Amino acid sequence: MTSEVKSVVCPICGCLCDDLEVTVENNEIVKMKNGCSVCEAKMVHGYKSEERILKPMIRKDGELVPVSMDEAVKKAAKILTDAKYPLLFGWSSSTSEAQRIGVELAEELGSALDNCCSVCHGPSVMATQEIGIPASTLGQIRHRADLIVYWACNPWTSHPRHLERYTSFTDGRFEKSEWKSYMQKMKGDASMKKVQAASKRIIGSTIPAMRPDACALNAPPQTMQKEGRKLIVVDVRKTMTADAADYFIQVQPNKDYEIIEALRCLVGDQELDVDTVGGVKVEYLKDVADAMVNCEFGVIFFGLGLTQSAGRFRNIENAIALTRDLNRKTKFVISPMRGHFNVTGANVVFAWSTGYPYALDFSQGYPQYNPGEFTTIDLLRRGDNDATLVISADPGAHFPKAAVQNMMKHPLITINPDMNAISRLGDVVFPTQWCGIECEGTAYRMDHVPIMLRKVVEPPKGILNDEELLKRILAEVRVIKGKNPDTETKAEVKERNKLAPRIEIKQRKKAKKVEVA
Amino acid sequence: MTELLIKNGFVFDPINKINGEKMDIAIKDGKIVHKVSGKAQVVDASGLTVMPGGVDIHTHIAGGEVNTGRIIRPDDHVKDVERKTAMTRCGTGYSIPSTFTTGYRYSRMGYTTVMNPSMAPLEAKHTHEELNDIPLLDKATYPLIGDWWFVLENLAKGDIVECAKHVAWMLDITKGYAIKIVNPGGLESWGFGHNVHSIDDQVPNFCITPREIVTGLARVNALLNLPHSIHLHTNNLGLPGNYTTTLDTMKALESVPYNGKPVCHITHLQFASFAGDGWAHFQSASEEISSYINAHNHLTFDMGQVIFTDTTTMTADGPFEFSLYELGGHNKWVNSDVETETSGGIIPFHYKKNSPVNALQWSIGLELALLIKDPWKMFMTTDHPNGGPFFAYPRVLAWLYSKKAREATLKHCNKKAQKKSLLPTIDREMTLYEIAIMTRAGQAKALGLPNKGQLGVGADADVAIFNINPETMDIAQQFKAARKAFKHAAYTIKDGKVVVKDGEVVNNTTPGRTMWLDVQTKDPCVIDEEMRRKFKQYWTIEYDNYPVFDHYLRVPEKLTVKASV
Amino acid sequence: MIILISKRKFDVPVQAACISPDVFKGKTTAEIANMPVTEGNRNLKLGDLFEIQEDNLETPYITINGDAGKVKRIGSNMKTGEIVVNGDCGMHTGEKMAGGKITVNGNIGGWSGNDMKGGLIEVHGDAGDYLASPYRGTATGMKGGVIIVDGKVGSDSGCYLHGGVLKIKGGAGRFLGYHMSDGVILVDKEVDVRPGACMTGGKIVITGTVEEVMPSFTIDSVKPKVKIDDTTNVAGPFYVFLGDLAEHGTGKIFVNKACNPQMKFYEKYL
Repeated sequence: MTSEVKSVVCPICGCLCDDLEVTVENNEIVKMKNGCSVCEAKMVHGYKSEERILKPMIRKDGELVPVSMDEAVKKAAKILTDAKYPLLFGWSSSTSEAQRIGVELAEELGSALDNCCSVCHGPSVMATQEIGIPASTLGQIRHRADLIVYWACNPWTSHPRHLERYTSFTDGRFEKSEWKSYMQKMKGDASMKKVQAASKRIIGSTIPAMRPDACALNAPPQTMQKEGRKLIVVDVRKTMTADAADYFIQVQPNKDYEIIEALRCLVGDQELDVDTVGGVKVEYLKDVADAMVNCEFGVIFFGLGLTQSAGRFRNIENAIALTRDLNRKTKFVISPMRGHFNVTGANVVFAWSTGYPYALDFSQGYPQYNPGEFTTIDLLRRGDNDATLVISADPGAHFPKAAVQNMMKHPLITINPDMNAISRLGDVVFPTQWCGIECEGTAYRMDHVPIMLRKVVEPPKGILNDEELLKRILAEVRVIKGKNPDTETKAEVKERNKLAPRIEIKQRKKAKKVEVA
Repeated sequence: MTELLIKNGFVFDPINKINGEKMDIAIKDGKIVHKVSGKAQVVDASGLTVMPGGVDIHTHIAGGEVNTGRIIRPDDHVKDVERKTAMTRCGTGYSIPSTFTTGYRYSRMGYTTVMNPSMAPLEAKHTHEELNDIPLLDKATYPLIGDWWFVLENLAKGDIVECAKHVAWMLDITKGYAIKIVNPGGLESWGFGHNVHSIDDQVPNFCITPREIVTGLARVNALLNLPHSIHLHTNNLGLPGNYTTTLDTMKALESVPYNGKPVCHITHLQFASFAGDGWAHFQSASEEISSYINAHNHLTFDMGQVIFTDTTTMTADGPFEFSLYELGGHNKWVNSDVETETSGGIIPFHYKKNSPVNALQWSIGLELALLIKDPWKMFMTTDHPNGGPFFAYPRVLAWLYSKKAREATLKHCNKKAQKKSLLPTIDREMTLYEIAIMTRAGQAKALGLPNKGQLGVGADADVAIFNINPETMDIAQQFKAARKAFKHAAYTIKDGKVVVKDGEVVNNTTPGRTMWLDVQTKDPCVIDEEMRRKFKQYWTIEYDNYPVFDHYLRVPEKLTVKASV
Repeated sequence: MIILISKRKFDVPVQAACISPDVFKGKTTAEIANMPVTEGNRNLKLGDLFEIQEDNLETPYITINGDAGKVKRIGSNMKTGEIVVNGDCGMHTGEKMAGGKITVNGNIGGWSGNDMKGGLIEVHGDAGDYLASPYRGTATGMKGGVIIVDGKVGSDSGCYLHGGVLKIKGGAGRFLGYHMSDGVILVDKEVDVRPGACMTGGKIVITGTVEEVMPSFTIDSVKPKVKIDDTTNVAGPFYVFLGDLAEHGTGKIFVNKACNPQMKFYEKYL
């Protein structure tokens, strides 16, 4: 029994490519079209992992033992309600529908709630809170952008179809694909290499390259003046994306902030006292600033190299300030290269139900937000929480040792489709379905465009999806809480409310003072 | 089968011409009926004012842009929190409340139906997901299609019928309710950082003018027989001297055939009624605008009143937000362009009494509302959150029904603005009947919602009861007491269930419905290979993944419309 | 007058905004014991967590002994009186403080002195990140008052500073005085990179070392000394940098000439 499913959405990275064509045979994906290599690795092979968890498990005497779903749900609910300050972390590879229930669960428990963005693009979110963000959807860039800057990211390997679908190598209404000129360049490079090899063989030395390497150690090449889309890459090392670029700027590690600051000065026609910034000559930066000012529509994409290097959200804040300054001269937008397919969705869902995108705390009965105080790693390092639920994430493999050690001091509940590092450490281990393969739901692309993930094959028998599972845990938590209702009187609640933040109506007093004066 | 009887209230139901009569309202199964059995639950409304549930024609409460506003403003949320109770979810305010809080706060003020006026079609799923999480209210949303490439191309060709088919298709797949147009032509120009400056400017790359877009879509609206008119945010909004553009737009719309039903709703009129040739010479144009409106009947309006507070401005008018940002004094600017459709911008904004411009804006909004004689034309809004958050409505009402309240605020305002303000010359004080028109009946009528905004038999049982006794309370004098009553409804009844009592939410099982239009054209827009190809060119998502699927609306209410094409 | 002794070591955060002389004033120990606090998500009373004693001394008004390292918001909104914490102290201490004094004989958590308007915080230890910085997304920080730290301070201290004085006797982390518009920051030891980034006004005085100043600062002059407040002057000589040019700012960074020979190349512009 073979069937073909069209317009399938890829549940891997923030690009959410939705033009996959998948062939299903006997409830198994056997072939696919249009996907990148990363996508194929998961959609055709990865999801059939031998490490798949097929039954809920509870740790008894140090060993994980399969149990019934009821028992596991009861145990999880007991752990969460017994804890004084549980933490719910993960969410970025889950559907928005599940994330909604997650917020409700956190609220019911009075727990901390955080998503994976606190270890990837949380700084980008914090930067927008300081300065805003001039952004656009990816299609706008496809139609209009004639200057594309990838800053501290390498989409060629991390988001393989990004260039092809949204930026340099795609045809838009007003700007055309640079694929042909790229192919010519590659051919040129290949023949140059042949010539070099031949000349080495014949005359024993190489002749100087016709085209200087497009690197910051050199001035920007002539191609910076060409018609059509231009691509600039800024990174600490020469990546595959940099190979495709018209100009590559190699910065010293942790010096991005200074370079952005210098560019801001140059865009604002200020003179600098220094000759080089972050390893790059100021005169070359001037050429880059000119290219930015003279484009019709420019875009900066930035990655984790900017969010997680020294300066963190201040780097992004400054990059956004640069983009804003450029908007006074032309049109410019900036966009984070979000990683997991629905990490943006987690921000979106948390924000509409609470006002805040991540790093949440419900311990006071209302939402509180403060990265650094309620972000998972900070919380774990300080050892503030006393139980953890991890859903669709693997902090076991990615978190600092101190954080994982503190997490292990207290009960741990995990919800993941396969036996990853964190599931191996769990006290209650739930199986779940692969979102976007075995269950449908909404995900948000890196530019906040919602797309519905499709269900392509049936999940293994008896395995619930994230949403159903969380609903059951929530129901069980409510049962336990119903038996121990909060006994505070109205007067006591009023007293407590007094200490909650209030709206300060300053305006009125000020106006009165003006009157008196 | 649930029955409810509201006894002995002073009923204000302008659609049925009931002006403060003492009468009973009977409710059965969520509808108003002639009478109920003796077993009905009784709500004693003696000494209280009974009105239809409030209707808000224009309030930004959900969607991509609103949510981005939420994300960038932790400083706004931290000062205003809602604690979780056994009945309600927790949340935060202030100017952009979280979804649950939005529902509760509207309901506490006696509102039962609200309209989300701007939704980028590409992000429609997001808007509907949020609307699902706004409890206790009926909702609908307007897709932004004034700068949609299909519309621009078809109108430039002069093909109104083809344009109408595309619009019908768009309303259907985005589950929308009305045609929203923002700064027509300006948003497309903003794609390359430009704007249009009059209704006859050419839109770059499209051979069309704003005049052609507005009148074209007004004709499309008529062809499709949509219940609401087109919903327009005019060009040059928020700029000094823009009232001439507004007058030009209103005159241009005279060319659209008028058969008793308004052809256009011009929203947040206050922001479109500025005179003067620069911020330093900022003036009110409320007299010019209102005298035109008093002489013509083809349009409806809402106020877009300004409140003196710290709020967040957000609109699809990207170029306007950037020009506002460039005035200085703002720490954040968001721009959010959406491919082939629209743009957007957000800026936190603090309206200050001591600012000559802000104070005069406050005055202009009220001047317009008071100078436009017919309350069926002009509705009360703050363009939440642009002029101020919606829960400041009771303050706006107080300024409308009490000269004393206006004077109390005006005397704290900037002296220059006080001199320019027309308010001291206006003595009009609105009655409860007029208030009921401006906040309920008129809005429901303009929206084409026959079952809302009235308490006649067959209407939806959405009722608001306020602690105002029209026999003993002179609202113009006791404006503070009346304001308090409007802030905390004595009862709000949604679909025949008491959801708010004494200003507190007492029911959490009413999610509210999402209304959408199923526009049936005789010869619907065909999605053939050519169309799919075009689709692939224009958007970055596939045609199959573009629609809002049925399950995105938790409680849908389909309103079927027969189009004449 | 009031002595609070923690009953045990707290393993989850405790929120105790009620610990403030203004709140305690005029209340009996029984009433104070009944003030609401939270431990994690549990709603408790102050008396559940602290033993409350009273003595006859006038000052300090409140003394906290034992474990307060996880107790947040001590002295928030405080206007008068004095609090002494013997030991470490949690986050948000002295938040929105308008007057009075808080002395911490230990380390202090992040966001202390956040949105401060007046008063004095003295820390005889280290301070966490975001000392005297505003809440996320707010563009005005500390407006007045004095904070003195004997040890070092974390990153992002004195952000959006709009008045008041920070005296740091140890080193300071990255982005000291980020976007400050007024006020003075004095650091005696090593300052990490990017001091004064995006500053538009005010003074940062570095008597210790700093690797470099931002490229967006320009050298103005060399000054022999600099005024900190009405009573204190610090002797130099100092290089004076103006910036941040990217923000068209007129803030000043004073860098000790003797300790920072790597900055000598700037002298060619003078």
